[in-house]
Amino acid sequence: MRRFLERHWYAYAMVLPVVVVIAVLVLYPLAQGVFFTFTNINEANIANPVLDRPASYEGVGFKNYLNVLSGDASYGAFWSTLVRTLIWTFGCVFFHYTIGLGLALLLNRQVKGRTLYRVLLILPWAVPAFISAFAWKYMFNAQYGIINQLLRAVGLPDPVWLGQSDWALFAVIVVNVWLGTPFMMVALLGGLQSIPGDLYEAAEVDGATPWQRFRHVTLPGLRSVSSTVVLLGIIWTFNMFPVIYLIAGPNPNTRILVTYAFERFFSGASRDYAVASTYGVLILSVLLVFATVYRRALRKQGEVW
Amino acid sequence: MAEVSYVKASRVFSGNPPVRAVDELSLDVADGEFLVLVGPSGSGKSTALRMLAGLEDVDEGAIQIGGKDVTNVPPKGRDIAMVFQSYALYPHMTVAENMGFALKLRGVAKTEIKAKVEEAAKMLDLTKYLERKPKALSGGQRQRVAMGRAIVREPSVFLMDEPLSNLDAKLRVETRANIAALQQRLGTTTIYVTHDQVEAMTMGHRVAVLKDGLLQQCDTPRALYDRPANAFVAGFIGSPAMNLKTVPITSEGAKLDGVTVPLSRSALDAAGGLDEVTFGIRPEALGIVPSGEEGMEMTVELVEELGADALVHGAVKIGDSSQRFVVRVDGRTPPTLGQHVKVAVRDHTEIHLFHPETGERLEA
Repeated sequence: MRRFLERHWYAYAMVLPVVVVIAVLVLYPLAQGVFFTFTNINEANIANPVLDRPASYEGVGFKNYLNVLSGDASYGAFWSTLVRTLIWTFGCVFFHYTIGLGLALLLNRQVKGRTLYRVLLILPWAVPAFISAFAWKYMFNAQYGIINQLLRAVGLPDPVWLGQSDWALFAVIVVNVWLGTPFMMVALLGGLQSIPGDLYEAAEVDGATPWQRFRHVTLPGLRSVSSTVVLLGIIWTFNMFPVIYLIAGPNPNTRILVTYAFERFFSGASRDYAVASTYGVLILSVLLVFATVYRRALRKQGEVW
Repeated sequence: MAEVSYVKASRVFSGNPPVRAVDELSLDVADGEFLVLVGPSGSGKSTALRMLAGLEDVDEGAIQIGGKDVTNVPPKGRDIAMVFQSYALYPHMTVAENMGFALKLRGVAKTEIKAKVEEAAKMLDLTKYLERKPKALSGGQRQRVAMGRAIVREPSVFLMDEPLSNLDAKLRVETRANIAALQQRLGTTTIYVTHDQVEAMTMGHRVAVLKDGLLQQCDTPRALYDRPANAFVAGFIGSPAMNLKTVPITSEGAKLDGVTVPLSRSALDAAGGLDEVTFGIRPEALGIVPSGEEGMEMTVELVEELGADALVHGAVKIGDSSQRFVVRVDGRTPPTLGQHVKVAVRDHTEIHLFHPETGERLEA
């Protein structure tokens, strides 16, 4: 042990600052969050130095988890919110991936003005999310929004997009697809460019049709890129707070787990930190389970990752 | 099995000025023949092969396979199989899947694919590796898989684009012999592209030499070596390269340093009116002679010992300039560095004369 330290102390000294920073910024808040889920902490009983009030919250064991997992509406109807979150997540990621792949395929050939298209298609990603969210919010405005004006002009029904109906969920999915596609496109374009051209030629000589070349050369060639970006996309979308909250606000029809945690934390009569933290821990566990299952499935396919 | 013909086939790449990568190539390859396309990089040899494969457009002229015009037929319809320089194996498929892919696309029954793949694998000594992915194979094994993929198809023409250039020297020589033997056995028409003239000479029934998109000469290896059609072919074929020097010519013969090499009547007639010719002689047609005899004075600058023989590089004065010559001598008694030796033409029938400007061969 002493010899070990003697030999490697320099490396450990170099790593130490990062370890400290991560511990302070990530591990400590995480541990505190988990601790809160076992208490009844809220605005009324948290320590408040301004009012010179000491903390008076107490441990409640697993009560928060039991309340949330019961699916009770007063605790955010966890199960139906989870289902909505999954619809939102997989809906978004599915369209991100398919549209992104389509655009990447179009951009991966020799077309005039390819650089211009590329810049234009990356734009949604470069614009700060809240700006595009507000722009879309106005476009979805039931009376004055351009979308409904166009729909009226061609004689189609003009729903109240961001009202108390599932149209609101549809609308936020549309916006998030628009926002998230460029990332997929850029990542997949990189993947496409890493597929050697002679594989396509070999497949052509082997007698493959364009569809077969796509199926047997392009898709396998994209597999490692795809698996990474799809997992990232799922994690990001699962926790995509700004799009939903900025466009639809605290609308129960667009409520996903993370927006409910936010609502519980910052609004309501007694800002319920305990339940919000419980939601946070549950979100983390869902994603952990998902990532583990996903990686295991990939490994079974022989993917080195 | 099929014959292949290029009929004034050209490939022109747009640009300013347009590049004629392959320029009016006319070439007939007989059924079962092994034809090698050889040339330096940028000579259009790979483009010519890719035109035959259908991977490159034919801008002018036509290409026929088995008597059928395939100029505008996609690769799929040409009944060809190609071995790529990079092998282009599908990385996510096993060796067996790689080899059987074309048959699978064609809708051949699984059991039949399996039988054919196993047969080809046996021929190429790949049976042990059928379930491996290309990643887990050595360079030589990958090369064999690429060959196997072509064999399994039983195409009418094999196309090979520098298939050995990624192998190390020893394996290359070994594989060279294997490919030639395999082609002999299968009797399939084969077009083989290489930049290595040794490969071309050892493998091809006939060799077509290209330069700047133009066909220079197409003949048997022997004929290319003995009667190169122009100075380029003379310098390209043979290792070490032929000594090619521009020398003055008189009615007696070519004037080298201190010696006049007598030339045949017909050669002198063909050179009629020229003051100078490009004089070509292979290193083995020169020899070192005892100092008393007539010959060119040469200062030895480099001796490359190859074992059986040695290559002596040295400077010879021709006119005012000093020219370098290479002489092949016996490996056991090479001259030493800096030594002055006398060099003479050993075999007068092995003198090649070319026009100093056009490079065309003089004499009938």
